[in-house]
Amino acid sequence: MTAVVEISALRVSYDAGMPERRAVLRGLDLVVEEGELVALLGPNGSGKTTLLRAIAGTLLRDAGRVSLFGRDLDLWSRVALARRVAVLPQTSVLPDGFRVAELVEMGRAPHATHWFGSSAEDGAAVERALADADALELADRQADELSGGERQRVLVAMALAQEPELLLLDEPTLHLDVAHQASMLGTVARLRARRGLTVIAVLHDLNLAAVHTPRIVVLGAGRVAADGDAASVLRPDLVRQIFGVAVDEAHTSEGRRFLVPRAAP
Amino acid sequence: MRAGVAPRPLVRARPLTRAAIVLGSGGLVLLGALIVGIGLGSVAIAPDDVLRVLGHRLLGIGASSSVSDALETIVIDLRLPRVLGAMVVGAGLACAGTVFQAILRNPMADPYIIGTAAGASLGATIGIVLPLLLPALAIGAGSAWLGLGVVQLLAFAGGMGTVLLVIVVARNGGRLPSVTLLLTGYAVSSLLAAGVALLMFASGRALAAIFAWLMGSLAAVGWIDLVVVTPVVAGVFVVLLARWRNLNLLLLGDGPAAHLGLDVGREKLRLTMLATLATSATVAISGTIGFVGLVVPHLLRLVVGPDHRLLLPASALFGATLLVMADLGARLAGGIPVGVVTAFVGAPFLLWLLRRSRRVSTSMAI
Amino acid sequence: MTPRRSSRVLLLGIVGLLASCAPGPSTSASFEPSTSPSAIPASTPSQSAAADYPLTVTDDAEREVTIPAEPERIVSLAPSNTEIVCALDACDRLVGVTDFDDYPAEVAEVDRVVTMAEVDVEAVVAAEPDLVLAAGNELTPSAVIEQLTDLGLVVLVLYPESLAEVTGDIELVGTALGQGEEAAALVDDMESRIAAVEAAVAGIERPRTFYEVSVFEGTIYTAGQGSFLASLIDTAGGMPVTGDALSTSIEIEELVAADPQLILLGDATYDPTITPESVAARPGWETMTAVADDRVEVVTEDVVITRPGPRIVDGLEALAGAIHPDAFAE
Repeated sequence: MTAVVEISALRVSYDAGMPERRAVLRGLDLVVEEGELVALLGPNGSGKTTLLRAIAGTLLRDAGRVSLFGRDLDLWSRVALARRVAVLPQTSVLPDGFRVAELVEMGRAPHATHWFGSSAEDGAAVERALADADALELADRQADELSGGERQRVLVAMALAQEPELLLLDEPTLHLDVAHQASMLGTVARLRARRGLTVIAVLHDLNLAAVHTPRIVVLGAGRVAADGDAASVLRPDLVRQIFGVAVDEAHTSEGRRFLVPRAAP
Repeated sequence: MRAGVAPRPLVRARPLTRAAIVLGSGGLVLLGALIVGIGLGSVAIAPDDVLRVLGHRLLGIGASSSVSDALETIVIDLRLPRVLGAMVVGAGLACAGTVFQAILRNPMADPYIIGTAAGASLGATIGIVLPLLLPALAIGAGSAWLGLGVVQLLAFAGGMGTVLLVIVVARNGGRLPSVTLLLTGYAVSSLLAAGVALLMFASGRALAAIFAWLMGSLAAVGWIDLVVVTPVVAGVFVVLLARWRNLNLLLLGDGPAAHLGLDVGREKLRLTMLATLATSATVAISGTIGFVGLVVPHLLRLVVGPDHRLLLPASALFGATLLVMADLGARLAGGIPVGVVTAFVGAPFLLWLLRRSRRVSTSMAI
Repeated sequence: MTPRRSSRVLLLGIVGLLASCAPGPSTSASFEPSTSPSAIPASTPSQSAAADYPLTVTDDAEREVTIPAEPERIVSLAPSNTEIVCALDACDRLVGVTDFDDYPAEVAEVDRVVTMAEVDVEAVVAAEPDLVLAAGNELTPSAVIEQLTDLGLVVLVLYPESLAEVTGDIELVGTALGQGEEAAALVDDMESRIAAVEAAVAGIERPRTFYEVSVFEGTIYTAGQGSFLASLIDTAGGMPVTGDALSTSIEIEELVAADPQLILLGDATYDPTITPESVAARPGWETMTAVADDRVEVVTEDVVITRPGPRIVDGLEALAGAIHPDAFAE
């Protein structure tokens, strides 16, 4: 089984207007296998979004190697990449005037063969995407009339319309309420199972990650600080070291473990 | 999933028939405008005389001996190229405006916004004033290359050159951020406008000529201008229409568009140069006519939606019709510059658009 | 900053014609003394006055124009051209004039083909002229001249920059219209009147003369350096205070430094509020010798002073009378 994502010694820095560029990722290594569901956690500024962008190919890196599906990222054309990798960004604006179905169809752009219209295959893919994203009944609605949760589902449908093999999610639960957070991650898990996707999701909620993702990668100081399942990674001493916050372990009545930040003295 | 729901063609979003209706009726309206524009003018010519002349000269049917030479000259050599010119310029400006609004995602974007108007104005003003400053360069308006005058060539060069400069300055790595492009265009435009103002001050008696050019006018459009500019505008339109998908993708934002496989920086560059080519070509023969490129795309977006597959041709058709009618109005009002008419019509329209629909602004969120 | 009255555009244009150093057949950047009455006209017809058609002439824009037959239908695109045609006894041949044409009275009946300095090309074509008299130096836009020529019309461009060139243009038009005798007579009359003025002012001390064309938004317009108006003032026996050759404007400081001894208010012809008193009240003007000596004169003949047609000599005489009233006391 070839790894979907292979990263070695990745260095990325930003030009923040200061004499020296601000280094964000300083020699990061990561391997993600096919079919995995990985959560990316870390304190603010640790480079989670940067790493995601580096994988998506929309960021220039200073050094190191990134290869997707066994091929070096530099050798991929943008369109070829878009056929296999879909990105759900943190904030997304849906342009007005389009129906949901038309927006989702834009996700077919990397596969588009017909010059002026869409093929039957495109139509089928859009339907599938809407169905999988639980947004089929929104198909005829105008984009600007949607609620936050509905909009999120449409965005997921747009990503799914690309028929990707790798799905990159940047804080997909950021603007959602508690109920939608849970259902969003549940959907992601379901999609992974149904479509055989590999998913990497940047999350900020430790407990949410613990419940939904089998593998958690924690970033710290521009590198991978911890990598494993929830039990081995989300330990109070590690959390304290990486996030700088003291937490206590607790258990639910069913025996599930979660972390609670200690109140400030 | 609900069983028993019949599969619906979700993706055949706008059936072909709707597009046909919109474009077909647009074409008919344009045709009507052309007929009215050729039939009316400051000199009254009977409609059947007009038809007789057109039939004779264009289709070779019948003889126009009953119509005097003067009237025939007016219809064929004065009105026809002018009205057709209005059509081409209107279509070109509307297309360019549509494209710039997509690239910059700014509702106030018009074809001139990143420097075309300022550059073309400076070129034209230099062309008008230079022969007065240096008598050796006192060549007539039509004596330069390909039958196009010095003023027209300098206007074209000024428009294209300025946008190239703005792009070079605004480019950042391979990217062309919309806000940077906008602001750089504004800064360069201001600089060049100051140059124009200075030349206007020193221009003496050429001031009226410069001012007329700045307001825009189709009075000097002849057959040669038409023959040169029409292929440019038509060609640009075809290429832009073929890129409709990319234009739609740009509406999603630079990031999402890139993730969907679009080379955003290069595409923006391509689209900018195409739209600027059409704009510069039209400005060269008609001066800077305002409002058409700004208002028409907004209006059509309300009617046919933001999908550029339909928006581009619809904008072109309506822009053409609008300018033909505006030019007729300008002629009947005593030869005032057509830019005055488009301003009088366009400005209240824009206000109405802004009041009526919040869609105008939110689809342009950056 | 557009002029308030659109008539000012044309006014400035006509004045600019006279007042600025313009490219053309006789380009000169510096002020030159006026030529003697027997000077060679700027444009020479290639045949004598009573000519057969077709004939070829060279107009003021150095264009060789062939006139196939005696023109019966004439369109004039400038008031000065209209006056020339009428002075040559061919007023009845006019079929199109401008809306600024006001002399002689007969032209009020003729169709207007130019409105507010905008040439209606359709109307010009509809009038079916066999001769169009345009104005040079962009007073008729060169694009329009180009258009008319391309449509096959015979266009003569006139742009006199001196008294000699005005008489030369009158002879040119006379030749073109087949009114050579009338032209010769008119020119003789004009030249003798010019000579009379020159004789009358010869040897008299020349006052520094400032001719106010207009004051607009703080900018003062006068005779430009080397301009027709400047040469007219010189012929009339004054020493003109001149402004910039191209823009025809003069800074107030320069004017004060030039210290004119005589101020002629050309704009008083159109604006009754401009009087010696209003001028004296302007800040900085009271220091000028002209104001101190009360030599600020209202001029009512600005039209003929600035219109380069047959009545230019009336203008010259008016100027001379204002500059040297004693020499011309009648």
